[in-house]
Amino acid sequence: MNNVTVEVRNLKKRYDDKQAVDDVSFNVKKGEIFGILGPNGAGKTTTLEMIETLRPIDSGTVRIDGIDVTKNPQKVKYLIGVQPQSPTFQDKTRLTEVIEMFAAAYGEKVDEMSFLREVGLEEKANSYVENISGGQKQRLSIATALVHGPKVFFLDEPTTGLDPQARRNLWDLIEKIRSRGVSVIMTTHYMDEAEVLCDRIAIMDEGKIVAIDTPKNLIKQLLDRGFKKKKLVEQANLDDVFIDLTGRALRES
Amino acid sequence: MKKSMYTVLTFVKINTKRFFRDRLAIFFSIGFPLVFLLVFGNIYGNTSNYSFRVAIINESNTSFAEQFTKSLKDSEIINVSEEITTIDSAKDKMSQSEIDATLLLPDNFGSIVDGDNLPSGEAEIIYTQNNQQSVQVLGGIIEAQFKEINAKFVQNITPFEVKLTQLNEKSLSAFDYTFAGLLGFSILAIGVFGPINVFPELKKMGILRRLSTTPLKVWQYFLSTMIGQAIIGMISLSLMFVVAIYFFDLKIVGNMFELAGFIILSIITILGIGLALGGWAKNERQVAPLSNIVTFPMMFLSGTFFPRFLMPEWLQNISSILPLTPVIDGIRLITTEGRNYIDIMPQLGLILVWMVIIYAIAFKVFRWE
Repeated sequence: MNNVTVEVRNLKKRYDDKQAVDDVSFNVKKGEIFGILGPNGAGKTTTLEMIETLRPIDSGTVRIDGIDVTKNPQKVKYLIGVQPQSPTFQDKTRLTEVIEMFAAAYGEKVDEMSFLREVGLEEKANSYVENISGGQKQRLSIATALVHGPKVFFLDEPTTGLDPQARRNLWDLIEKIRSRGVSVIMTTHYMDEAEVLCDRIAIMDEGKIVAIDTPKNLIKQLLDRGFKKKKLVEQANLDDVFIDLTGRALRES
Repeated sequence: MKKSMYTVLTFVKINTKRFFRDRLAIFFSIGFPLVFLLVFGNIYGNTSNYSFRVAIINESNTSFAEQFTKSLKDSEIINVSEEITTIDSAKDKMSQSEIDATLLLPDNFGSIVDGDNLPSGEAEIIYTQNNQQSVQVLGGIIEAQFKEINAKFVQNITPFEVKLTQLNEKSLSAFDYTFAGLLGFSILAIGVFGPINVFPELKKMGILRRLSTTPLKVWQYFLSTMIGQAIIGMISLSLMFVVAIYFFDLKIVGNMFELAGFIILSIITILGIGLALGGWAKNERQVAPLSNIVTFPMMFLSGTFFPRFLMPEWLQNISSILPLTPVIDGIRLITTEGRNYIDIMPQLGLILVWMVIIYAIAFKVFRWE
């Protein structure tokens, strides 16, 4: 119990005639990367939003670091960092000012440069946000979510729309954050991403969790049920070819 | 509390910086009202001393005629059009109503007729049918001038005289009303038009939603917007005052600090309308019709473009309780009539009542997404 940072019990949410989230329970341990997978409309985002205090909970409980989200949302906000699906910032704002503003939202004053350095944006420190690339915006957004030293970090489809180099760069960044003992909860539509990055994944469908385990165990369970792919898996895939030919270096002007 | 204020002031600092980096925003909040002021000031600014536009056709070459023409040109009441020299062009201009009348001095005007030692003559005033009234006044003025000249030549006693006494008080000119109205319009622009455009945009971009995952509170966000808009408003209105003072001879009679305080209070109250509308609306389409319903009555009935005393009494009664009306009245009372806060208690009170109502609504209807 002392190792559990996020505890979700029997979470439910209903929209009019649709049970969007139906009795969802899981735990996330300290320093764990936990993936929530599922088709669109499965209830992933709603689940995240209830944990993030953004949406009222119908029934069930969520505790973050032992604090009840419904009873003490303001306290929970100091413990969580949220990365939205497509981060946007008000234009004519310098990157340092974005960091300064988010830190100020928590009543804190931080060394903006150290946060920018951490996500590899120190050279862009004085640029306006409208002049940086999509991948850079993702990384800036991650920096803004970490200014107050949260214990849980939420990412909603963080690599959608990024090129393979930027994706890998983001994976490294997420690994780095986890290595500091931050629990990471993320959603994704990319199975390779979940396989590489996540320690455990929950697969959701129609508001319910249909499976929850490590990627390896889930694959093993499938094979144990007698599943066979029609074609033998190659030792490399097209993604590997792409990275081999174009390298890992980030492409951003 | 100290931390909360740090949050608010950091938001103010960065948002104000952002404002000054945005040329378009500067133009619309500061430049645009100035253009408005120059246009309206020129329409209403010069009507306080009414003048006649007159052409003088001087066919005489006597020195008396020359002096008489010169004295008319120096007159403040008569505005002599220099470029008209022939009777035909004068007739054209009169038919186009560009000038009110033509003064014709015939060739024998001011010459000394044989057997007399004084110059004499007859001036002719030519006018069109629609200028009858103004020409009567003009005729009176020229007759008075002739009387003065006659008196110089022929001494006699005038048993009855009219003495003119000017009061030291200046009556309100049309510009005084226009200026207060334009300030009111500017406050409406800064307080309402700004937020109702910005907030739905921020919601669409998910910026407010992202902020709602931080401990930032609605009052902190409102307060930072309030301070920021008050700063921009004070800059904009100060420039309007400067232009009015230098170009339109505005004189601020009242206390400057009371005026500044009153304007800040006004901006905050009117901004509440923008915060309520923009904070409530999910998108631009939702906000447009409602904001029209709310702002149009104020734009036309609160005395922004035409003074309220021109309205029928029942309309004056209705428009007197609109939130912008005490703002415009109060600014005018302090600026041009030199009233203080005690004199304008009704206006101050009404603004404060509106402030409570508006902000109660704004906090209630605000949504982050």
